[in-house]
Amino acid sequence: MADNTTHSNTGRAGTEPTEAKPVEAPKMLKAKINGVDVEVKAGTSIIEAFHQNGQSIAHYCWHPGLSVAGVCRLCMVEIEGNPRLQIACNTAVTEGMVVNNASEKVKEAVKWGLDFHLINHPLDCPICDQAGECGLQDQYMAYGKYDPEMAERKVKKHKVVDLGPRVVLDTERCILCSRCVRFTDEVSKSNELGIFNRGDRAEIGTFDGKPLNNNYSTNVVDICPVGALTSKDFRFRQRVWFLREHNTICTGCSTGCNTRAFYNKEGVFRIKPNYHKDVNGYWMCDVGRDVYKFANKEARLLDARVRGEWMVPSLAAKKTGEALRGGGNKVAFVVTGQYTNEEYDALLGFAKNEVGTSNVFHWINNPETIEAFDGLLLRGDRNPNTRGLMDRLASSSLSAKWPELVQGLTSGAITTVVVAGPENQSQFPDLKAKIMELSKAAKLVWLQAGKNDQLEALDGDVTLIPLKTYLEKDGTFVNYKGIAQTVKKGLSIVPASLSITEVVELMRGAPAVEAPSDVDQVGVGRIYNEFTLVRGNL
Amino acid sequence: MAEVKYLSEHYHKKEYRTLAGYKANGGYEQLARALKMDKQKIIDEVKASGLRGRGGAGFPTGVKWGFLPNNGEPRYLLCNADESEPGTFKDRVMMEKAPHQLIEGMIISAYAVGAKKAYIYIRGEYMGPAMILEDAIREARDAGYIGKNILGSGVDVELDLYLGAGAYICGEETGLISSLEGYKGQPKLKPPFPAVQGYLKKPTIVNNVETLAAVVNIIRDGGAGYRKYGTEKSAGTKLFSLSGNVQKPGTYEVPLGYPLMDFINIECGGLLPGRKLKAVVPGGSSAPVLTAAECADATLDYENMAAKGSMLGSGAIIVIDDSYCMVDVLSTITHFYHHESCGQCTPCREGTGWIEKIIHSITHGEGKPGDVDLLLKISDQMKGRTICALSDAAALPVLSFVTKFRDEFEYFIREKKSKVKGTQIYAQMHPSLGGAH
Repeated sequence: MADNTTHSNTGRAGTEPTEAKPVEAPKMLKAKINGVDVEVKAGTSIIEAFHQNGQSIAHYCWHPGLSVAGVCRLCMVEIEGNPRLQIACNTAVTEGMVVNNASEKVKEAVKWGLDFHLINHPLDCPICDQAGECGLQDQYMAYGKYDPEMAERKVKKHKVVDLGPRVVLDTERCILCSRCVRFTDEVSKSNELGIFNRGDRAEIGTFDGKPLNNNYSTNVVDICPVGALTSKDFRFRQRVWFLREHNTICTGCSTGCNTRAFYNKEGVFRIKPNYHKDVNGYWMCDVGRDVYKFANKEARLLDARVRGEWMVPSLAAKKTGEALRGGGNKVAFVVTGQYTNEEYDALLGFAKNEVGTSNVFHWINNPETIEAFDGLLLRGDRNPNTRGLMDRLASSSLSAKWPELVQGLTSGAITTVVVAGPENQSQFPDLKAKIMELSKAAKLVWLQAGKNDQLEALDGDVTLIPLKTYLEKDGTFVNYKGIAQTVKKGLSIVPASLSITEVVELMRGAPAVEAPSDVDQVGVGRIYNEFTLVRGNL
Repeated sequence: MAEVKYLSEHYHKKEYRTLAGYKANGGYEQLARALKMDKQKIIDEVKASGLRGRGGAGFPTGVKWGFLPNNGEPRYLLCNADESEPGTFKDRVMMEKAPHQLIEGMIISAYAVGAKKAYIYIRGEYMGPAMILEDAIREARDAGYIGKNILGSGVDVELDLYLGAGAYICGEETGLISSLEGYKGQPKLKPPFPAVQGYLKKPTIVNNVETLAAVVNIIRDGGAGYRKYGTEKSAGTKLFSLSGNVQKPGTYEVPLGYPLMDFINIECGGLLPGRKLKAVVPGGSSAPVLTAAECADATLDYENMAAKGSMLGSGAIIVIDDSYCMVDVLSTITHFYHHESCGQCTPCREGTGWIEKIIHSITHGEGKPGDVDLLLKISDQMKGRTICALSDAAALPVLSFVTKFRDEFEYFIREKKSKVKGTQIYAQMHPSLGGAH
């Protein structure tokens, strides 16, 4: 399972520290949860103690990354010596506490708590995107299963509320847990959302002219326990039970958020964050949410292209290898920060040993904003592994300055250019200009996963070799902090595509590389249903 | 006649609401005395007096003051004048007749608890009392009873009035604090309690108008002197506001422990001619209802009411005679709590609406056989499940009305008309329910 199912009490933005001074060694308290002896740090709430010890407890409003609201009243527990049930999220564990959430009294309270959530809920699961991963459904199966007694008219509220560019709200489905409001208050600190009106007329909403428009807005969809907040990008695209998960790392910037990609045979459909204490906490940014679109079949280069002719990629790689080997300093390599350490090692090794060139150039896509940081997660360096590349260039003393390349191309000292191009083309504003510039070379070899009309239209000795994306290969990315994180191959979208390591093996003369057979094939491509076409994004 | 004029001694004098009139009748003398007393001595006197919070919960005031932590943080004293429990109008009388009595009580209390800043949080609908208080605060400030170095004692207390926007929930002390802080008036999670982390996250005491006004008399007569009235556990006098089917409804001051029936028959002139007593709601609409039989030996004090399963609450007595349909009365009460639920906690937000809809169905002849038991189940699950007591306040009247007058509810469901009135009742409904209103 993903990392973010193991809750930790660190990273709780917005909550004030309960102790004025940090204690050197945290005091440990002994308690008993559902008959099991546990030991937790002083200051731990009961709900955290439950999670730390693998005990399940019903809850909606509590989220480990947000402050305690205590409003859903579902995490009821019975504490020995206390006649009233208490909420686990706002009650701290004390020494010797004996607590359970398994008694009939608790079950009855949770059942009713759930019923109160459901009496005005539209129960439109068949057309709700959350169905299959919905808190209400899950808790109903665990604690509910009763015959509903609500026979009165339900409260009518607003449907299809367009909150902003990425999120749609259905206020009837909303259970007013206030997670999204707390998220915009405490994490994104953009304060767009609020609860308007009171009682059972209360609704989540935004102020006029102030839409939910920040780079972290889709997180509210993730933390919404029900189908009230849905992502415009994902709405009506797939039922979640048709999707499989693949844990990976976001390649959208140098932060390297831990994420998981949801896919099926039609392609990848969405990205959600995984918890990582030191990298991204519970969140990820909206830019990273789009880091699956370039991986899908419709955006991909499906075959190699040599001098305007389509060719099997492995054959193209072999032919290219023959032309490059021993080419010396007439051959230049241009490398972006989009690839894994292993691929850099292979490519730089090949350049140095087989080709015998010292012309390796680092293509920095946005030198002006590369140091930028939004204060939360998104960094100006929109490459997952700039640090890994820089380290490797430095240690193999291969780095050359870009003007030398321009000069070399103009003077004819450099005749052949091999480019490890951008995987995520949308983050390379200078892509067009660079293609123009590099196509001056007599021979251009361009390695890239995505299709690009400009490249395909180039005349002359141009070789395009399709690469695998980060979802299809194993490797290591080093984030801005120096934390090395691995990605694993989880699926295969373009079976013929190669990783740079494989390209290098073939260029070195290997007869063939193994085709991906042990992973899910995602080769069908997107089947659009009529509804999406008519309805559009909302 | 056992009505006493202890707090309300001078309320009949029109000039008492002005500074000059208040001073002519002994006003601000206790402030001068109190400022010469040791703070702890004042708190001890209040503890000794046995004064209990007059807002509804009846918590001992001196004990509450003792909860403040000694951490050197600034402290606040808030006066809860958000008198919004249906049936209650005693604070209004006090603020209209004797604004300076409240101000004097507050300055003394603020000095005792070490607060340099005090606020009166008054409900939005009380525009009249608010204007009177504004004038009184101005007069008191000009005369040096509010502000820096009060009466040369070196004590600074600033006092301001804050007008709420008219929400019942802002009478709940943490809801009041949220509202005063400028947030939506919603109760906060406890712990932390206001005495530790209240207004602006600083130690805060919230007291009712009547409680703070009584402090003046406690300073004058001492803790033991205050105990001249009332019972052992319910010391002193209290203003009761009586409404409903009696000859002379109004606010009367009686010692605690006074018999309820005497209060109805003597102070309030008894029931209307030809009517019989059916029920009494003794402590505001959230207090469980008492039947006529239970009223016979009821006395107006905290312990007797608790023994009868109800509460003295804010001292709002609502008398219901035999011409009223209990389903109709409960329909009005449930409408109020549905309208006023802040919507934070699920059981209250959804339960109050559900209950109102069921009763609305009953009063329209659409009740279903299991509705009476369902009402009991819902209210039972709303009790003690939420951040504040509004959910309990909404559930308790339902539980008591339905239990004690079950025949009227069952008759209504069965016959599709009121047992008392013989017709259906078109009760008020919130517009969002789409019902008649």
